[in-house]
Amino acid sequence: MPMADAVTTPTTTPHQTHGEPIVEARGIGKSFGELEVLSDIDFRLEPSEVVCVIGPSGSGKSTLLRCLAFLEPYDHGSVYIDGQLLGYEERGGMRVRARESRVDAVRAPVGMVFQHFHLWPHRTALENVTEALRLVNGLSRRDAEAEGMAMLERVGLAERAGHFPESLSGGQKQRVAIARALAMQPRVMFFDEPTSALDPELVGEVLDVMKQLAHDGMTMAIVTHEMGFAAKVADRVVFMDQGRIIESGPPETLFRTPRSERLQQFLNTWRERHID
Amino acid sequence: MFDLALLWETRELILQGLWNTVWICFLGCLVAVSLGLVLAALRLSSPRLFGYPVACYVELCRGTPLLVLLFLLYYGGPSIGLLLDAEIAGVTGIGLYGAGYFAEIYRGGFKSIPKGQLEAARMLGISPWHALTRIQIPQMLRLIVPPGTNQLIILVKESALISIISVDDLTKNATTIVNQTFNVIEPYLAVALLYWMIIELIARGGYALEKRLANRQPRHVVRQGESAHAHG
Repeated sequence: MPMADAVTTPTTTPHQTHGEPIVEARGIGKSFGELEVLSDIDFRLEPSEVVCVIGPSGSGKSTLLRCLAFLEPYDHGSVYIDGQLLGYEERGGMRVRARESRVDAVRAPVGMVFQHFHLWPHRTALENVTEALRLVNGLSRRDAEAEGMAMLERVGLAERAGHFPESLSGGQKQRVAIARALAMQPRVMFFDEPTSALDPELVGEVLDVMKQLAHDGMTMAIVTHEMGFAAKVADRVVFMDQGRIIESGPPETLFRTPRSERLQQFLNTWRERHID
Repeated sequence: MFDLALLWETRELILQGLWNTVWICFLGCLVAVSLGLVLAALRLSSPRLFGYPVACYVELCRGTPLLVLLFLLYYGGPSIGLLLDAEIAGVTGIGLYGAGYFAEIYRGGFKSIPKGQLEAARMLGISPWHALTRIQIPQMLRLIVPPGTNQLIILVKESALISIISVDDLTKNATTIVNQTFNVIEPYLAVALLYWMIIELIARGGYALEKRLANRQPRHVVRQGESAHAHG
């Protein structure tokens, strides 16, 4: 797959305009009590860009994604979605927490997929997808179901529409979760370790859906341990350790010629475990 | 010998007791179930303002006997200007006491829904109100039916204590019959059976509700052809 070429020649996405990031974080920091989990992070996500965030456990990569979605409020710095400040408002020169409705409005372009799927177990696969279409977008049941079926078809699960999550495999659950997020027509998708909770043989089907999304030009930020996937699909890889971004660049550069010692160690540990 | 004729002669007292037990329990449980939900919602609501007072209330209910609460309401009430009929004191006592337990049952139900489900809802733009009514409450109901049924049963049984504050309930009227006729076995056995009947009804209602909530089948599945038609 020549996907890695997309770093410098994003020819698959003719509408792409450089310089206007969909997501931008400037100097964000976050602490849980005494523990500083993010410090001074700068992060940009351009339209149609696919960025994979890698790093050891506890490096802050999931927290970064959650702060970018304001599921965790960040303490310092700023996050902008489509140029709009997320989570806070300037009022009389002071920064105050934005109302929930304002937060919802600013992050509307963001779709999120979680490690543990977080499907609603009392709703069928189709209902999981149609719920927000009906409650938020005000679609009629009929329209929402047509739209929901289209999304399930997109992830290859149309025939499972009437199943409850408990009767789906982990991979199927995650694909339903992706369909649920796609139904709201996000401009950017965040994936928080989307395959980490899956049995190894189910990882592929989820990664395939994500590859297709990347191919279709979706802007994506993916926290992952799947190095092979990152190497093939990412335009840029970000390596984090101890709450900081250590290195960032095209996968071929980062994986072949890591500059920092910590990334070298991290890659060596990974290779030792995976190449036998 | 078991004297059935005695029960027939005293049927009016027994039926009156049954009626009083039923309506007082019904209203008391209604207060417990609804006030409990309000307390749980207050305790879990995001401004932590109500958390501590509600927690204290729950501990008070669990830490004191219902009988003491009934004494306070009925005998202690007048000294602070609270004059309650014995029946109303019974309803109030059962309601306030049960609410503490129900608050905990609801809280447990809410807490056992993974936080991530709500995060998923927030990320889709679903409002907190819709998240509560469409995602949390339907799942919570399923979880609380068994412990809730159990708690209702306990409240009905404990309602026998209202006989001590002079309510003419099943237990008190049985005692009255015993005192008048010097037959102990028949009246108490009869009311035991009646309590059992009430409780059996609650238990069966609980099972039915549990089944109904658990066995929900998908009501609708869009046919393949339909969706293919809509989207080529």
